[in-house]
Amino acid sequence: MGLVAAAVLTLASLAYIFWPAENPFSQRAKSQLDYLRERKEAVYENLRDLNFEYKAGKYPEEDYVTQRSLLENEAAEIMGEMERLERA
Amino acid sequence: MPHPMPTFGSFSLLLALVLAVYSLAMGGASLWQMATGRSGRIAPERLSETARRAGIMTFAAVSCAAFALVWAAFTNDYSVAYILHHTNRDLHPAYKFSALWSGQEGSLLLWSWLLAAYGFVLRLRHKVDVRLTAHASTILSGVQVFFLLLLVFAAPPFSIQPGEIPPDGFGLNPLLQYPEMVIHPPMLYLGYVGFTVPFAFALGALIMRYPGEKWIHITRRWTMVTWLFLTVGIFLGAHWAYSVLGWGGYWGWDPVENASLMPWLTGTAFLHSVMMQEKRGMMKSWNVWLIFSTFMLTVLGTLLTRSGLVSSVHAFAQSSIGNWFYGFLVLVFCVCLFVFVRQRDHLKTENKLESIVSRESSFLFNNLILLVACFTVLWGTLFPVLSEYVQGSKATVGAPFYNRVALPIGLFLLFLTGVGPLLAWRSTTLRTIRRNFILPSIATVANAIGLMIAHVRPWEDQSQLYSLMAFSLGAGVIAAILSEFLRGANVVSTQTGKNLFTASLQLIQRNTRRYGGYIVHFGVVVIIVGIAGGAFNQSMEKEVGFGDRFSVGPYELRCQSYTEDSNPVYDTKYALLDVYKNGKFVTQLSPESRFYAASQTNSTVVANYSTLQHDLYVIYMGNNPETNRPIIKAFLNPLVIWIWIGVFIIIVGTFVALAPAIKPALATSRVSHTEAVAVGSGD
Repeated sequence: MGLVAAAVLTLASLAYIFWPAENPFSQRAKSQLDYLRERKEAVYENLRDLNFEYKAGKYPEEDYVTQRSLLENEAAEIMGEMERLERA
Repeated sequence: MPHPMPTFGSFSLLLALVLAVYSLAMGGASLWQMATGRSGRIAPERLSETARRAGIMTFAAVSCAAFALVWAAFTNDYSVAYILHHTNRDLHPAYKFSALWSGQEGSLLLWSWLLAAYGFVLRLRHKVDVRLTAHASTILSGVQVFFLLLLVFAAPPFSIQPGEIPPDGFGLNPLLQYPEMVIHPPMLYLGYVGFTVPFAFALGALIMRYPGEKWIHITRRWTMVTWLFLTVGIFLGAHWAYSVLGWGGYWGWDPVENASLMPWLTGTAFLHSVMMQEKRGMMKSWNVWLIFSTFMLTVLGTLLTRSGLVSSVHAFAQSSIGNWFYGFLVLVFCVCLFVFVRQRDHLKTENKLESIVSRESSFLFNNLILLVACFTVLWGTLFPVLSEYVQGSKATVGAPFYNRVALPIGLFLLFLTGVGPLLAWRSTTLRTIRRNFILPSIATVANAIGLMIAHVRPWEDQSQLYSLMAFSLGAGVIAAILSEFLRGANVVSTQTGKNLFTASLQLIQRNTRRYGGYIVHFGVVVIIVGIAGGAFNQSMEKEVGFGDRFSVGPYELRCQSYTEDSNPVYDTKYALLDVYKNGKFVTQLSPESRFYAASQTNSTVVANYSTLQHDLYVIYMGNNPETNRPIIKAFLNPLVIWIWIGVFIIIVGTFVALAPAIKPALATSRVSHTEAVAVGSGD
């Protein structure tokens, strides 16, 4: 009984592992552009965060303006780099 | 064939080992081919797919082995030495099931099965990022091979008992015959083993020089679920110690308790510092080493629990598998160091710390403090072993050492829990500090004054000083969390016109991660309040006869009777105590002392009357040999129940943080005319 069960398990394993896959799934490698898209999304998330916290009254106007312009500059730099890569 | 199930179990483990080795070797070969552009007779993608499937079948094979062991326990198959030594015929079915992890071989099988189960889920979800998952899958297979090697060659769970088979087993350790012991070890192991997944992703991402931080996004839920399992496992263990060991406390800085705390500390640090990597591209090397260390500490924890390296009430095994673990730890460290040195230029930070008063610096301090705590615990745990190695005599490191360091560290962490969310990213001006810190500061000071009016005397006793600080800082943190919720809810209320309560719910739904995190922080504060109550513990020990009375705190205990009883599993002595408060009967308690015949050991069953204010915790210490009357010890432990309530709040908070957020409506920003930035609830 034990040996029969062991044999069934072995055969099932071999069949599953080596059964040909009709469409082996593959993805293209992640590019620098993909990475920049992620970075841009992260900076946008930070901007959303800042806007919300400002609306919630956590930051005075002067601090908010400074922080927002830093984030916007960062976003602009990333978008510039993305445009350069897309043109190339 | 005389032993069909043990044979099947042994074969399943052997097959699992072969499959894991195949998954490791072919997975590694295919990744190498993809990285170098070389190709053999079989395309690397095809080879990688067979490795993935072998990993999936490893789970099936290890599951069969685990099933065979549980089957042997339920069918009282004492031809299996492990079953003979850890069960007996009259054992409750739940404890027969828990026999799977009550001994060394079984618990290593559980480790291996959980790892295979995590690997199974990871491999099924490979389309999330095929190449990164292939790397992680291969690394998981490597870890799996180690544990299967242990199970096949060093600690086989299906060893056949030589000679004549006894008619009944030797029974389960009585300390383990407690309901929580059915779920505490699996929870802890789910936490230990689960950290292998973020470790595998981090190492895989570094090996393949994965661009960006998406691997953190992929592993975020894994890490949080794992962290939750470890948290719940630790506190179930604390509750078990409180309810079973009968010394009146829940945490004794025992080496095995420490072993579970260390990866929790580094894992908590990792959960916080990855936010800096996600948001600002900072601390990449730090994060990689945090998760490497966390994984190595989980392996060290298993070594401490299972090898008998340190003396502990929790170390339920003594064996020689230590050398295997030392070798594995050295190998893991060398691999991590090699990969880090080769790929360190990939981990360059994108931004630098701009100000010491910023959200980033609060995360950094949080990390440093957690690591100091971890190192302290590690030092205290290993010092007896090191001292024996160097001086030949084993030094003892007791609770005072840990408390001296852990209490100030805990208070500073509590302070950072309140301060961190109130600081701005990059730098925080004095204007912002003034605006955000007024309410928490008032709450802190008002609480401290209130407690001193209520006769807390911090200048008389250091433990009262720490308690006062914990209560007051806790009040400050709660005020900070409430102000975050109220401010956010006000914004949502203005946007949607809903009332504050509905707006609060929407706020949480919009940013589950942030507000789930705040709920977790609230749970941590509640736990700390419960722990701080320990400064006001009282106890009383007394020999009692029929009708004798004694008092502890506001309670009066009256011995109604004491007697002895017996059943097939154990003999018991117990007392019946009526409890009165202000002259009114409140409950009856029945502390017990048991003797288990199968294992020839004694055990205590604590009687506990728990309220929100305090626990009345009563132990049957034994009988006076001269009078044969019971000796009863009663503790009054204030606020203990809040520790368990805090854990429940942490569970709720983590579930909230795990839930997907509902995206808010979009509003435009001036970054670009074509892009839209949602004015959501931040992150």
